[in-house]
Amino acid sequence: MEQQIYLFGLNHKTAEIEIREKFALSGFNPINIGLMDKEGPIKETLVLSTCNRVEILCVSEKKLDEVASRVLEYWAGFCGQDPGLLKKHIYTFEGLEAVNHLFSVAASLDSMVLGEPQILGQLKDAYRKSVDEKTAGVIINRLLHKSFSAAKRIRTETAVSSSAVSISYAAVELAKKIFGELQNHRAMLIGAGEMAELAALHLLNSGLKDIMVANRTPERAQELAGRYNGQSMCMEKMLENLHKADIIISSTGARTTIISAAQVRQVLKKRKHRPMFFIDIAVPRDIDPDVNQLDNVYLYDIDDLKEVVEENLANRREEADKAREIIHQEVEKFSDWLKSLDLSPTIVDLLNRGELVARKELKKTLRSLGPEFSESNRRAMEQLALSIVGKLYHEPIVFLKRRAREEGTSQKFIDLTRRIFNLDDEHIPEDAHQRKIKGKEK
Amino acid sequence: MLSFRILDFFIALLYFTGALSFLLGLIYSSKKTQDRSVIITATGFGLHSLDLVLKYVLGIGEILTQSQFYISLLAWSFLLIYFLLWWRLKLKFLSITAAPMALLVFTGSLAISPSTLPIPGILQGLWFGLHIGSLFISMALLAMAFGAGATYIYLDKKIKSKAKLGNVSKDMPSLHSFDRVNHLAVIIGFPLYTVGVLSGFIWAAFTWKTIFTWDPKEVVTVIIWFAFAWLFHRRVSGAWKGKKPAQVIILIFLLTLASFVGINFFTETHHSLRP
Repeated sequence: MEQQIYLFGLNHKTAEIEIREKFALSGFNPINIGLMDKEGPIKETLVLSTCNRVEILCVSEKKLDEVASRVLEYWAGFCGQDPGLLKKHIYTFEGLEAVNHLFSVAASLDSMVLGEPQILGQLKDAYRKSVDEKTAGVIINRLLHKSFSAAKRIRTETAVSSSAVSISYAAVELAKKIFGELQNHRAMLIGAGEMAELAALHLLNSGLKDIMVANRTPERAQELAGRYNGQSMCMEKMLENLHKADIIISSTGARTTIISAAQVRQVLKKRKHRPMFFIDIAVPRDIDPDVNQLDNVYLYDIDDLKEVVEENLANRREEADKAREIIHQEVEKFSDWLKSLDLSPTIVDLLNRGELVARKELKKTLRSLGPEFSESNRRAMEQLALSIVGKLYHEPIVFLKRRAREEGTSQKFIDLTRRIFNLDDEHIPEDAHQRKIKGKEK
Repeated sequence: MLSFRILDFFIALLYFTGALSFLLGLIYSSKKTQDRSVIITATGFGLHSLDLVLKYVLGIGEILTQSQFYISLLAWSFLLIYFLLWWRLKLKFLSITAAPMALLVFTGSLAISPSTLPIPGILQGLWFGLHIGSLFISMALLAMAFGAGATYIYLDKKIKSKAKLGNVSKDMPSLHSFDRVNHLAVIIGFPLYTVGVLSGFIWAAFTWKTIFTWDPKEVVTVIIWFAFAWLFHRRVSGAWKGKKPAQVIILIFLLTLASFVGINFFTETHHSLRP
């Protein structure tokens, strides 16, 4: 029976965090543990273990039941848990469904936050580990490379990973739209809550010059300002320093608004109408909504920011449909390749490729010989070209056929043949394998 | 002169392709298309420079009295200022106004049949060069600030109303950079405009022995000068930033354009460019 691809896994949708923790597989080496051995049913393995998902991808010639029970037994055994419990939370994919699932994971369509970029890096690490531990073979190598290129294609062709989907990133994006580069700008935190600190941190990471902190309890203000080399002050000094700030993040527990439109108008005069961006994340609100009516002043409260995030998420979901279409195409391509791993299509492809080259060269030569070259000579030359090609490919084909009879080894050689003669017409960039070489050096 | 016709046509074609492809690059948010469009426009600009120099060298003494030459020169100044701003502020985005505006004015210059202006030969003096040069550059600055201002108002409204920022808005530069264009256009443009207007009056004083002739062009120019002076004052004093100067400069540019097209071509004036 031919090789089949299987995928077993659990993720944030099928298992609670407690379960995912119990069945985490960091440090799981399929060969050392015994899941894979020379005579065993499983030929190739890849293990992906992150905080949101644990998955085992494997290639085997055996039926699903046999492979599943073996994988679950070793998986649960490694974690010291009951296989029955594992079985309740697991999903299983076979063949092209498994390919489809892996491509979706790589493209972050299956992630908790749709389109988040980390998963691709985690998958690359998992693949590197499987290469180092020699558990990846012809099929997994190809499958993973294709999943990386599919993910890359999705990132460039769809907007599934673009636009901010957290409140603090949305605030940073808006600030950049208003001020451009943030190098020469300063933020003021009014009230030193956790969320305000997070937003300030994102701003600082995006190049903001520095921050000021105003808080009711000066100790907390000092502590926070000290952490980011900023200036701290008590709440009473806030208004007289407000003109120094370009971005104001307010999050106090005050019952009424603490900054009015009239006050902001005064501050604007003092700073010669340079723009100000108010981010009001307090409930009830700290800043008079009328502030937004002033020229060069922009006010976003927590609901506005949530709306931006919601819209961006909706946009990502829309883009995800496009991404699924791309995955569908890539799975089709992979399926063609899988089929070509049988012997006969490869022989046909090889001979076709040879004939193509022969005919191309023949045409060139005949053109240069001119019209007076006789028809019988033409036919003789054609025969010559084709028979040279046939003879040249004879030995490799005999070799492949002989290997095919020796079970298990044929795929490796078929794959190699396809690559040596470039039967799949792939364009491989010069630097395609640099990372791999680097990985080996380590 | 047929070869010049072909060259002119080719330049117009390059400007057209540049303008159109930038728009497409913007709509489909493709950076590559945008970059290519700038290269196309730049090629057109290079050929245009060559065209002007050749016409001047070959037709010396005559070309300076031809209306076509001046309009073509105005189109050229638009792009000159655009490339200068691009170099200083890295604002490729202004291509959105520069390329179509240059296309419009340049094809306009082709559309009018080459005719000789009823201007006496004494025009070719220093004053006249100063008059044309400073006014054309300040007009080009106004044109760029017009585009920047319109985009500023659009983007400002979107951010203020918390509307969804689409792909096109996301690719736009920040409000700050558009305001910088306005700032430069006012700080450099207004003194140049003043020099242009003054040199015109001084020249008139020498030629016609009178300073102000109540010519429609002169009246509109003085009105524009006062508006410009007021804007200059507000900007320098720091009382205005952002939306208001954007609105006022749009108004000023439209007035200048109206006076250039409307008055020079359709009314009796000694600035007439009518064939």
